[in-house]
Amino acid sequence: MKKLLISFLLVLTLAAPAVAKINVVATLPWIGSIAGDLGKDKVNIKVLVRPSQDPHQIEAKPSMILAARNADLLMYNGLDLEIGFLPILLESSRNNRIQPGKSGNLDCSQFINAIEKQETVDRSMGDVHPLGNPHYHLSARNIMQVARGMSQALAKSDPENASVYRANLASLESRLQKKQNQWSKIPLRGKKYIAYHKFFEYTARDYGFQIIDYIEEKPGIPPSARHVSKLLASAKKSGASGILTTAYYGKKEVHALAQKTGLRSIVVPHDVGSAAGINDWFSLMDAVLKSLE
Amino acid sequence: MKRGFIFFILLCSLATSGHVFAQSDIESRIRALEDVLKKQAETIKAQQIMIDDLKAQINKKTEVAAAPESKEKPAEVQPVQKAAGLFGGAAMSNPNISLVLNTYGYSSNLTTEEVRNRGIAGYTTRGIDRRNGFNLEAAELALYAPVDSFFNLYATIPVTEDGAELEEAYFVTTCLPRGHQIKGGKFKSGFGRLNSQHSHVWDFVDAPLPYRAFIGDEGFSEKGIQYTYLLPLPFYTIVGVEALQGDNDMLFGSDAASGIHAYTAFFKASLDIGNNSTILFGPSVVTGKTKTDTVAADSDFSGDTTLYGLEFTYKWQPSKDRGFKIQSEYLLRTQSGDLTDAGSGLGQSLERSQDGLYFQGIYKQADWEFGARYDILGLFKDDYTLAGEKQDWGRRPWRASGMINYNFSEFSLLRLQYNHDESDVTGKPNDELFLQFIFTIGAHPAHKF
Repeated sequence: MKKLLISFLLVLTLAAPAVAKINVVATLPWIGSIAGDLGKDKVNIKVLVRPSQDPHQIEAKPSMILAARNADLLMYNGLDLEIGFLPILLESSRNNRIQPGKSGNLDCSQFINAIEKQETVDRSMGDVHPLGNPHYHLSARNIMQVARGMSQALAKSDPENASVYRANLASLESRLQKKQNQWSKIPLRGKKYIAYHKFFEYTARDYGFQIIDYIEEKPGIPPSARHVSKLLASAKKSGASGILTTAYYGKKEVHALAQKTGLRSIVVPHDVGSAAGINDWFSLMDAVLKSLE
Repeated sequence: MKRGFIFFILLCSLATSGHVFAQSDIESRIRALEDVLKKQAETIKAQQIMIDDLKAQINKKTEVAAAPESKEKPAEVQPVQKAAGLFGGAAMSNPNISLVLNTYGYSSNLTTEEVRNRGIAGYTTRGIDRRNGFNLEAAELALYAPVDSFFNLYATIPVTEDGAELEEAYFVTTCLPRGHQIKGGKFKSGFGRLNSQHSHVWDFVDAPLPYRAFIGDEGFSEKGIQYTYLLPLPFYTIVGVEALQGDNDMLFGSDAASGIHAYTAFFKASLDIGNNSTILFGPSVVTGKTKTDTVAADSDFSGDTTLYGLEFTYKWQPSKDRGFKIQSEYLLRTQSGDLTDAGSGLGQSLERSQDGLYFQGIYKQADWEFGARYDILGLFKDDYTLAGEKQDWGRRPWRASGMINYNFSEFSLLRLQYNHDESDVTGKPNDELFLQFIFTIGAHPAHKF
């Protein structure tokens, strides 16, 4: 009886078909895009969060748990951006390969220099991230570093194709370098913007523009009328080139403020798939920088 | 050596104290020393800035450097910083601690005494522990953290005015591969939907009538062990079995048998419909030995109980600001055994086969949620056979509820709920009003489906 049970369990565990491709689960669209550039036909990529969803707020849906169960490699943004669903997703996945500390668990933020780390925080300050600003993907510099870490993780998960991942990384790097040369010629240096959310800080750092004010008084919390009217007064005199937001946040507030101040409202695409024609990270960056011009 | 040194210093200080220094002299010396220290601190600061700059320059250089040739193995990529970890990093330290305060104001047309003694005839004699006025449900302390790379550990300790209780304390394996998992300790059973959730994440203040009639106000949390398996199918399907001690005093009772005497099995499946909709459904069953005094007044029941459940949840979440949710559970309980009068000691055979259903819908718009719920007992099955004779308890018990809640943030909630309760078929209806506050501090709550 006992033998039978053991052999039954063995059959269950071994029966999973041996697949040639490795399963990569990416939490966010941009992560899936870079992983796709590195893995190409050697990987199956499943992205958990759609561009229309807020990674802060979504639930660990059963279909996401199933995807994580079958993952060889889980790649995520980190810096607490996915704190609502990722811990429970990992536990519910019943997949030992992707647990923290294992080679199948890749926190992409470990490869970048996070800015705006907070020494002391509490929740009265809004959606603050003690580990640093988690929106680091609109930066070629960061992506270069993340891509190197990703390719290494892919090679570790799938040693047979390690040379392929390395070659793909090399071509990605040279493509990125070329693009970066183009992007750095876009005259953004010295420009000033007002932003809805703390979303563009790494981009500002890279291309030398400034975010002089925020419509959100506290990150993640809709602004008070008083704060908006205060902004209204200062925005006119600020010499800002525009008011920035993303498709799913603060569009109403930004448009209203733009109308009253005569400043341009700029809806910046925030992730791959957030607007037509943005099919990968490169076209995302093209669109982001073009929108800022 | 060290001792000698200390002795020397002592000697020196004694010697110097022997001299009569003017007060001002000492002060000026201290000031001079302070100045030196300040200057040193400044130097260190300046040097640190220089070091940081140099570091930044080095970083920049390595970034600007041309891509390495693809044929050669590139140098190992070193993380810029340690992976922060999933659980908030050092800022929220290990273990993760949270506290949920669940408190409400209550108003009923009945007196507190009447509410307390209000059972559901034929189902349970158990009333509701609730007072007109201010109520403190609990301040629930929750702790969790990975134990090591094999287990996660959880403990839930609701503290009430009567003291602290260990509602849950269990481990979950994270080391098993390919969909297997074991949970052990004291935990909320995977039976049904509401049962496995904490009451503060429910959409209504209280449990629906079928839970009140068959399981109890809070569902059943038992000592035992659970095994679950997430099947390798194209859609989500999970099976689970549990062996439980059987302490729940409505379903089982600690003294019903000398050992483990409750077992559950459940199956859940889920499908996504399009991008925005998800359904979750499945049957559950729990069976075991029973010894309880909640069946009829001044009587003890002992026998066997089986509870069947069927759950269904549908969620539509097109955006973060809008959503709709339907949730329903059907419970059927069969029971057979002897009902013994506590005074006379006379026993009669009792067979019960009764069911119940609740159905609720919640609509979410921005920070607001609006909900309605309908509960009914004895929907398809209402057999109560005492000593071979079928008993009639009158019409079906039912209840209707409406609620509005406002989320100040993810961590605080204000809820207004109204119940019209016709579960006491012989007495007056109970019209209840709740104003509930729920607050969460500490570790970030998990967003379960």
